[in-house]
Amino acid sequence: MAYSDRVIDHYNNPRNVGTLDKSQQEVGTGLVGAPECGDVMRLQIRVNPETQVIEEAKFKTFGCGSAIASSSLATEWIKGRTVDDALAIKNTDIVKELSLPPVKIHCSVLAEDAIRAAIGDWKKKNGVAETPRDAVQTAG
Amino acid sequence: MTLKVIESAVLVPCWSCSVAHNESTLFCPHCSKIQPPASGDYFTVFGLEPRLNIDLTALEREFHRLSRKLHPDRFARATNSEKEWSLADTALLNDAYRTLKDPLRRTEYLLKLHGAEIGEEFSGKDRPKHESGPSRAPADLLEEVFDLNMQLEEMRMARKAGESDPELEKSLLEAKRKFEGLVEDVDRDLRAQWQAWDEGDAAARDAAQKNMVALLDRRRYLSNLLRDVTETLGA
Repeated sequence: MAYSDRVIDHYNNPRNVGTLDKSQQEVGTGLVGAPECGDVMRLQIRVNPETQVIEEAKFKTFGCGSAIASSSLATEWIKGRTVDDALAIKNTDIVKELSLPPVKIHCSVLAEDAIRAAIGDWKKKNGVAETPRDAVQTAG
Repeated sequence: MTLKVIESAVLVPCWSCSVAHNESTLFCPHCSKIQPPASGDYFTVFGLEPRLNIDLTALEREFHRLSRKLHPDRFARATNSEKEWSLADTALLNDAYRTLKDPLRRTEYLLKLHGAEIGEEFSGKDRPKHESGPSRAPADLLEEVFDLNMQLEEMRMARKAGESDPELEKSLLEAKRKFEGLVEDVDRDLRAQWQAWDEGDAAARDAAQKNMVALLDRRRYLSNLLRDVTETLGA
């Protein structure tokens, strides 16, 4: 099955690959995985404590092109959004943007999970109450 | 669901003596004539009950006995159909033996006969989206899996640059041993489910089957990872 141009673009030029210092108070880390296909995804955010705006987002994904593209796109989208706005991103938005075929939908689910996990981690660290929207959906 | 294969054996008449027998039997129990290969289950080929705990000695003995009976020399004067069947039956017998003697293959085979969805082709898509428990991500391992992947990437880059990194190699070997241990754990856990599946009531069997499908998922995941480590170390 051929990858869409957008997937190939994100795969060849992934945005925001890297690591943030997870020990820092304003950094949230989400680590999720899909054991069936072997993908593991780590997504990190740095949140401005005053504005709750995600000022920086980094990811590192081991997996197929669609998983890498999904997480790359996710970091691009959440940067500059408030934490609450970022939680509004749905895996179906990613599917649409990247024209993912049905067999690759789980990659977008993983990216959504990663966003939620990172935000959940940041909230926990900073004593911010969880909203029903981000009821922890990390794998496991 | 393909339960019927096992629950009610398909009976077919012998081509030679017309007495009905199970379709997977290689030789007619009545007249001893060779039978054409059937698509029935592997257990019946050996006259075994479809179980996870099987008598491996009996399996091997039966395999040798049937192999001898199927030897081409014995069909030198047989009809062309019988000659063809003896070859096809030999292939079937070998497949059946290879599958049943291996605990893992036997488990996957029997569970698939009972409708379990096992294998890459079911990669996650039919699993409940956020199901917790062993059938979902080995959450207990995510950290380690991620770190291992990082090390593998580093190792590949070092190799590409023609450098050696004994420290990294050592840590990858340690990780490899650890994951091999985890595979052994899975195999032990699988065996622990066998009895419940073989002898339990419908509910117990159902639960055991679910547990085993989850364990097989986990095992496949660990094996894929180990294959990557071995490939990278051996490169």
